[in-house]
Amino acid sequence: MISIERSLVTPRWQRVALPVASLAIAAILAGIVLAASGHDPLATYQQIYEASFTSTGALTATFIYATPLLFTGLCVALAFRMRVWNIGGEGQLYMGAVGAAGVGLALGGWPQPLLIAMMMVGGAVAGMLWAMIPGLLRAYLHTNEILTSLMLNYVAGLLMYYLIYDSASFWRDTTSASALVFPQGKYLLPAADWPGIVIGSFTLPFGFAAGIVLAVLLLALIRFTRFGFEMRVMGDSPAAATYAGMSTRRKIVTVMALSGGLAGLGGASQIGDFGHVLDPRGLQQAGYGYTGIVVAALALYNPLAVVIVSILIGALTNAGFALQGPLFPIGLVGTMEGIILFSVLGGEFLGRYRIRFGRAPAPAIAADEESGIP
Amino acid sequence: MSSDLAVSIAVSAIAYGTPLVLAGLGELLAERSGVLNLGVEGMMLMGAVTAFFASQMLPGPGWAVLILALAAAAAAGAAMALIHAFLSITVRVNQIVSGLALTIFAGTIGLSSYAGQVWGIGGQHGLHQLSRLDVLGLSDVPVVGPILFNQDAMVYLSWGLVALVSYYLYRTRFGLYLRAVGESPRSADAMGINVSAYRYVHTVLGGALAGIGGAYFTLAIAPIWTDGLTAGAGWIAIALVIFAFWRPDLLLVGAYLFGALSSLGFTLQANGVQLPSELFSSLPYVMTVVVLAAASTTLARRRIGTPAALGVPYVREEG
Amino acid sequence: MDIRADGLTAASAEAATTGSPPAVAALGVTKRFAGGVVANDRVTFEARRGEVHALLGENGAGKTTLCNILTGMYRPDEGEVRVDGKPIRLHSPHEAQAAGIFMVHQHLSLVDSLTVAENIVLGWSRQGGLSFSSRTVEAEIDEIASRYQMAVDPRARIWQLSLGERQRVDILKALYRGASILILDEPTTVLTPSEIEQLFSSVREMVAGGRTVIFISHKLPEVFAIADRTTILRRGRSMSTLEIGETDARQLARLMVGHEMSLDVPRRASTEAAAPAAEPRSVLDLDAVSVQGDFGTQALREVSLTVRAGEVLGIAGVSGNGQRELAEVIAGLRPATGGAIRVDGEKLVSGDARDAIRRGVAYIPEDRMGTGVSPNLSVAENLILKSYRRDSPHAGPILLMRQAEAQATALMARFDIRAPGPRTLVRQLSGGNVQKVVLARELSSDPRLVVAASPTRGLDVGATEYVRNVLLDAARRGAGVLLISEDLDEIIELSNRIAVLYGGRVVGVMDSADATYEQLGLLMAGAAS
Repeated sequence: MISIERSLVTPRWQRVALPVASLAIAAILAGIVLAASGHDPLATYQQIYEASFTSTGALTATFIYATPLLFTGLCVALAFRMRVWNIGGEGQLYMGAVGAAGVGLALGGWPQPLLIAMMMVGGAVAGMLWAMIPGLLRAYLHTNEILTSLMLNYVAGLLMYYLIYDSASFWRDTTSASALVFPQGKYLLPAADWPGIVIGSFTLPFGFAAGIVLAVLLLALIRFTRFGFEMRVMGDSPAAATYAGMSTRRKIVTVMALSGGLAGLGGASQIGDFGHVLDPRGLQQAGYGYTGIVVAALALYNPLAVVIVSILIGALTNAGFALQGPLFPIGLVGTMEGIILFSVLGGEFLGRYRIRFGRAPAPAIAADEESGIP
Repeated sequence: MSSDLAVSIAVSAIAYGTPLVLAGLGELLAERSGVLNLGVEGMMLMGAVTAFFASQMLPGPGWAVLILALAAAAAAGAAMALIHAFLSITVRVNQIVSGLALTIFAGTIGLSSYAGQVWGIGGQHGLHQLSRLDVLGLSDVPVVGPILFNQDAMVYLSWGLVALVSYYLYRTRFGLYLRAVGESPRSADAMGINVSAYRYVHTVLGGALAGIGGAYFTLAIAPIWTDGLTAGAGWIAIALVIFAFWRPDLLLVGAYLFGALSSLGFTLQANGVQLPSELFSSLPYVMTVVVLAAASTTLARRRIGTPAALGVPYVREEG
Repeated sequence: MDIRADGLTAASAEAATTGSPPAVAALGVTKRFAGGVVANDRVTFEARRGEVHALLGENGAGKTTLCNILTGMYRPDEGEVRVDGKPIRLHSPHEAQAAGIFMVHQHLSLVDSLTVAENIVLGWSRQGGLSFSSRTVEAEIDEIASRYQMAVDPRARIWQLSLGERQRVDILKALYRGASILILDEPTTVLTPSEIEQLFSSVREMVAGGRTVIFISHKLPEVFAIADRTTILRRGRSMSTLEIGETDARQLARLMVGHEMSLDVPRRASTEAAAPAAEPRSVLDLDAVSVQGDFGTQALREVSLTVRAGEVLGIAGVSGNGQRELAEVIAGLRPATGGAIRVDGEKLVSGDARDAIRRGVAYIPEDRMGTGVSPNLSVAENLILKSYRRDSPHAGPILLMRQAEAQATALMARFDIRAPGPRTLVRQLSGGNVQKVVLARELSSDPRLVVAASPTRGLDVGATEYVRNVLLDAARRGAGVLLISEDLDEIIELSNRIAVLYGGRVVGVMDSADATYEQLGLLMAGAAS
């Protein structure tokens, strides 16, 4: 006899089977959408795979899209675990780009390793400071950080615009020929290019490699340090954390700062790894900060999983842009991404229930359910 | 500042603000019920593309086609919102993630773009557009004329809706129940109000209004469809709701203010005042942060009125 | 439902005047919960029209369960409910309300940002229809309010009101909807003495019109002040229904707490803990400590207590009289507004949990799942919840989980925690084992003082025994134990001395050997002996 009951504990096999099943369902649903509009699903998936991974230059391009997502994904994975809802990754990334570009331009003559290090610091610090605003407001005034971090995204975007399009700022190129026609930022000197790691025909961006290291460090922080322990307790049961004498306020600010620093590094990577110039329009259109939230959610807020998911989403985005044309509408990218997300999120629903084979024994009851308090 | 200048700022502010008012009202209703929907941009785009397609395809007299196109836009937005509603209310996933998923799904490189491709409307010139009306023949009255009496139907619709939503919220039973659901779902539940139903209805309604707001782009602002046409209007609408502290009257004022501020910046520069327009544009957001911070003390919070249960899934404890 | 201006239905007003069946009655009602708890055991109860009927009993007696049955929240397993003599099956609070039965709970569910009028019509309005004219509602509310002497401004927002005023709103809500049977659950807990007087005169007005008011209480002075008759519940059974005029405090107290001075409950503390005489130094000193409650009420009023090393001081009292705040202020989770708390002679920093932990205060909280553990973390992690800061090997930034797990395994053996391993998540454990985790953590650090709040609540017989033994053991090894419990048997069994908390004050301290159930019952019910 098969029965379905609500359960507190998800059995091991279900924990793995569920995301896999969700992805399978997503593939089927997306296939239906494709077929309904005259595309061959299997052929399309084949094309996507090739354009993301196997055709010439595909892998490198995939990682170009994946790198910023890795940083913004880590930013959110850290914060959301502690139930600090930092949705300001977008703005923190912008500020990181501003910071890194500024440092890169100012310290142009420095030896490369030092220059790159300083750019990373510049980006991280800018992102940190930007994130500390909502962090401090939440910690000390209990202001809702969802609302404040969101607002600051707009402000950061406007600031970027101002620096490049509406002022004679340090970041703006006021001399070169093209700049006289249309406003653009100053390009950084080649010394500020972050060195990609060449592996055969594939180039791994320096930023991504740094991101992997950070992901590992983050995991270690969460699992093995006192700081991470306190974070996990606070995220699980704020009442237990207070009971144990943990100081919530400082922790919130610190976590927000770290989270913002990660997003800021993502911005620095945009400057150092890829564009080498502050490009407000491009950054705003890409929406890396918001996509990072989705990446983190798919990765179940696990830093190492974020690495994987950022590659997957990056692959899909890359394929979309690479294949874009009359036979392959760019709209497929978002649609498929959305279907994947909905399927995985919806799959959580099923994860709360347990399929039991045979007679249903009494499940372990939590203490507070045991007694009927009269 | 000459009155001509003031008038032109006002008129452009209204053009800028109308889709914001429509989508903002929708988001306001959803958030008042406790559901944060970050998918507004996606819903607006779906409304825009659907309205354009409908207006290209449907036969009949212009006004009928436009009405049907708006209805189609509303339906598209509502359908999108239903997905978010299901995930947020029934499955109880994190509302931030679910709303963003919707924006990605329906957004600039998502379903709205896909639909545009499949329907083949890219590059077409819109057949039907809303035109400015001449209400009571008063559009020539100096200053007020162009502002109040020379707008298109959707502008008047938006004003009507602001009044309607205000009345609904503060003077009807259901609006009262809605406010209770957003403030204290447990109390509302105890009083026999179906919290889930209220959340579903208002989230879907929010989607419908966002769809209509998006339709304004393709039916009034410019007779074309391109990917990502709304250019972030959905995000601004979300900010607007917070800026307006969930009040319809402030929403209307705010929408026009946002528009006026951005054009004010340029205008001042043209007149020699060297203040960056971005400064003006950023004022509302900065102000919102300041007021949110000041309003966070428990006492003030009750006066200002962030729906206390915003973003928090409601689980009824079994007895 | 046709409701007259004063809020009564025509039918109930008429019934009040004729000689008639009781307004509401429970006959042979039994209600069982999971785990074998029998909250109501063949309870028989009836309340007449036009009377104030007090439902007396300690916590755990079954009063709230009975009233939840009467208001349709629970369905009885056996027995029936009758309204006006007719049997009725109530499947929901709305059906009960349709029958005129309303309850005002201890924890009010009002929406803070809405006005009084808006809260009263929430979910149901006399007007019906779409629009909601506040003026009409306000007029109706003014009418009811003035008739029953419950002045409140209908336009005020709830957050502006005091607790007493909020309670009035809740009562007005019920009256507005035509309550003919009104149940008040411990209404005086949040009221000042003058507010209590006001409440009583309002209640007298209500019953004068033919209503029935059921007044749940454990406070004898109030019962004598307001009630006409009273029914006493104890351990789920209805003991007796008496006319107030024909009884006295002693009799009621005896019925509430049960047997006379009993020889069958073993007094373990006095025989086993010989230490107190030899070691009279105090571990805990409370010196005129005052503490504010959650809603601006005064939870503790200048409480002075002493706990000596090796002794168990039991705090008896019906919950809601300051016990929770007492435990929290000692554990540093709540600041004191007056007085001083000393552990081993030195003052504790008020409201600082870390200081309390550092000074050797162990706290076993009442809400073990919600406060005492982090449910989604492992047993090992929960066991180091407090010690991770100072003990090696956790002194550095790195948490050495392997060592923590090894220690956890040892603790699990020592404290008989039944779980597959130290990595098991705490939420997968049974209640008894969760409590053992809490005990293991708190007691293994060799604390100076152990504050235990309702430590055996909800546990099975075996776990209960275990917990009691462990607490006595801690005392034997020199700690001071502050045992807060609603279970009088437990208090008498384990304590060397007993103090009774009533209304935030210590109303009596005695040696356990000298205590009688009757005396304790009287003190707990506010009737000084």
